[in-house]
Amino acid sequence: MHTKSSHSLLLLGLALSLLAQAPNALQSGRDFSSSPQAQKIPTGVVLVKGAWSSASDSVTPLPEGGAVANDVYSNQYFGLTYTLSPDWTEKYSGPPPSDSGYYVLAQIRPADTFKGTSRGSILIAAQDMFFTLTPARNALELTNYTKDNLNADYKVEQPPTEVRIANHSFVRFDYGSPTAELHWHVLATQIRCHMVQFIFTGRDTKLAESLIQEMNQIKLPAEASPTSGTGGDDVPTCIKDYASDENVMERVDPVYAERRFNPVPVRIIIDKEGKVKHIHFLSAFPDQAKAITDALFQWRFKPYLLDGKPEEVETGIMFGRAPRPTTPPSTNAATK
Amino acid sequence: MRTIKLFSVLAFSTTLFFPVMASAQRARDNDGGGRNSGVQDPGIRVGEINGQPGATATSPLPVASVVANNPSGSLEFFQNGLARFQEVESVSNSPSGNNGLGPRFNFNQCSGCHAQPTVGGTGPAINPQFQVIANGIVIGGTNTIPSFITADGPTREVRFPFFFNSNGNPNTNAPNGGVEDLFTVSGRTDAGSCRLQQPDFARALATNNIIFRIPTPVFGAGLIENLDDSTLLANQAAQAGNIFGISGAFNRNGNDGTISRFGWKAQNKSLEIFAGEAYNVEMGISNEIFPEDRPLPEEELKSGLPANCLNLTGTGYPEDTTNFSPTVSSSDPSAVNASIPSDVVQFAMFMRLLAPPTPSTTTPGGSASIARGQAVFSAIGCATCHTATINLTQPSNFTPSLGSTPVNAFSDIEIHHMGVGLADNVSQGSAGGDQFRTAPLWGLGQRIFFLHDGRTTDLLKAIEAHESSGSEATQVEENFDALSPSQKQDILNFLRSL
Repeated sequence: MHTKSSHSLLLLGLALSLLAQAPNALQSGRDFSSSPQAQKIPTGVVLVKGAWSSASDSVTPLPEGGAVANDVYSNQYFGLTYTLSPDWTEKYSGPPPSDSGYYVLAQIRPADTFKGTSRGSILIAAQDMFFTLTPARNALELTNYTKDNLNADYKVEQPPTEVRIANHSFVRFDYGSPTAELHWHVLATQIRCHMVQFIFTGRDTKLAESLIQEMNQIKLPAEASPTSGTGGDDVPTCIKDYASDENVMERVDPVYAERRFNPVPVRIIIDKEGKVKHIHFLSAFPDQAKAITDALFQWRFKPYLLDGKPEEVETGIMFGRAPRPTTPPSTNAATK
Repeated sequence: MRTIKLFSVLAFSTTLFFPVMASAQRARDNDGGGRNSGVQDPGIRVGEINGQPGATATSPLPVASVVANNPSGSLEFFQNGLARFQEVESVSNSPSGNNGLGPRFNFNQCSGCHAQPTVGGTGPAINPQFQVIANGIVIGGTNTIPSFITADGPTREVRFPFFFNSNGNPNTNAPNGGVEDLFTVSGRTDAGSCRLQQPDFARALATNNIIFRIPTPVFGAGLIENLDDSTLLANQAAQAGNIFGISGAFNRNGNDGTISRFGWKAQNKSLEIFAGEAYNVEMGISNEIFPEDRPLPEEELKSGLPANCLNLTGTGYPEDTTNFSPTVSSSDPSAVNASIPSDVVQFAMFMRLLAPPTPSTTTPGGSASIARGQAVFSAIGCATCHTATINLTQPSNFTPSLGSTPVNAFSDIEIHHMGVGLADNVSQGSAGGDQFRTAPLWGLGQRIFFLHDGRTTDLLKAIEAHESSGSEATQVEENFDALSPSQKQDILNFLRSL
């Protein structure tokens, strides 16, 4: 604690110090008092990104490229068109894809004009089955994984069951929380080796059912199925671990500018000649994306043959630090 | 060698005044009606500090085995670390040897900012940074109190996300993100001829090139430190099937790639690194982990600190070292071993051995409301990130209470995208400008300021801030909005019971 005398000494010291230093300006720091008008950094935007998604071209559709426009959620990558119920909207966009291949595609909620008395929400999400942290191999198994990992506070209202929506196969799983008085209705299918989920949340199960009924207007590719959904027709066939030694004829390792330890999940499309046609980084720092892009365009694959004909193929490669093995597979099979 | 000087007045006054201050702040922050009408943050929980009988504003409790002095000597090390955490540092003329402050710093005492509700906590109700001129810690002729440091606002650390161009505008192609210390030692009688200018905070404010951080509380930090990576990874995998739009990542140490875990972005691997960096960055004291005096980021790009601001102690570097000879205390002649390690080692030991807060089962709102609140908190998805318990720690070679113990921190220690509403455009390790570690919630019941920058004292506003474009927590916040007012109140009561 300072005494009065010490304060006086400090003041005296300050005065002497100022006198002694008067010819010298304070060092360091910055003084922009005579600078032009300040240009403000914009708010509401992330300018300094960490590992983020990117792609080798801006033409090829990406899973995260969907958007709500004119009350319709469209996603060219998944061949998905979903018309929103009247007075429902997307207020906030989702985060970037995660380094374990998870996507928030859209978050739909009642608009300000919504007249209903009960709130609810619709989350449209996707999980790249090449990079899931779970042992699940398809959308059905991943839905079972969700069920198996529910804590005891939830009550399963309908175990994972295959249903038909708009002439496509989905797995439906309903559960609720008696304490929160909320219900979740999960509808999942698989497209291009991704689980695509529609999750309806709310207090009012009738509202959820009416929204689920409206899903019959949804447009999906023919491949959509909770146990298959591996591309084909107008899009490349997707094959897990196609970039294995038996298929890679020439491999060039990336030369990284900086040592990092994050997982870098990458989806590539290989053309009919075995060259890399398109690279999608789900999560990578720009320097990692550049190094991997430079390397991957030098890789050569054995062309993928379907019925003896070369076809484009889509696969995933995990660069960087792959996550460790996870828990054993669920033994609780879904009902069909 | 150092003697121990307790500095308790500030922390004591904090305890007396914080309920009044927080109540006033809540009145300013409260939702004026609408969807949360009738729902109110109960405010700072009254009663025992950290929910622990015997804890005082200047004497937090260690973990149980250290209370029992198991192993022998551990209690001495804890108490020594606690005392050092409260030492007041000078630049060069402390008769007790507590020298090395500056040349740039944010405060002169760990416990000045880590004060609420007791030593080791977070910012107090009465901001000591606002009083540094009045208390003679800095000199008014050479320093000013920045406008964002207020009498009852949060204690703050400042960062400029971007470097400035020569015309004074931020260059968004030149990320900065380093700490811009608030004060300089210039003008102090123990600072010689060192003459430094404070960063241009006014320009930073005018260009929106400024962000704030408040102190993270360190109660229970030894348990978080002692979680093996495999435990954290297993928890991540267990949450991978969630249906709330959440998928976090880990920040990783740049040297060995293992999971780092301390700081707002989980950028620090261990408590010793955490302590060493804070001593260097927040107080300007070089040490065995960060051995040189630290210039501002823009000074570092040029020629570093000027010569007349180096070695202000006159005794060389680092300013904090291992003490080769023990100090024999007249009051406790047996307490010699703990005097040998450096301050940084003892700060880390104090944090490591510090007990986690004990939640209340009855306050506020009663046990039924708290229990319902926890169940609803979990059901709507909050616990996907704010995981109530991350399994068990590893066996501990320090003390039994740190080993094989559940960590009830309400955090997954992952970093998550928190959207444009919370983004600070500062990258640390592999965490980007919108990613933050899930803040541990234990002890929340007695905190005053919330979120990384202390922008609110209203718990409800802190919850609402979790939703914005790009946030992993938007869906969960939407689930919160779907709750009835009484369910929301249960959640607030539960959180304030922690």
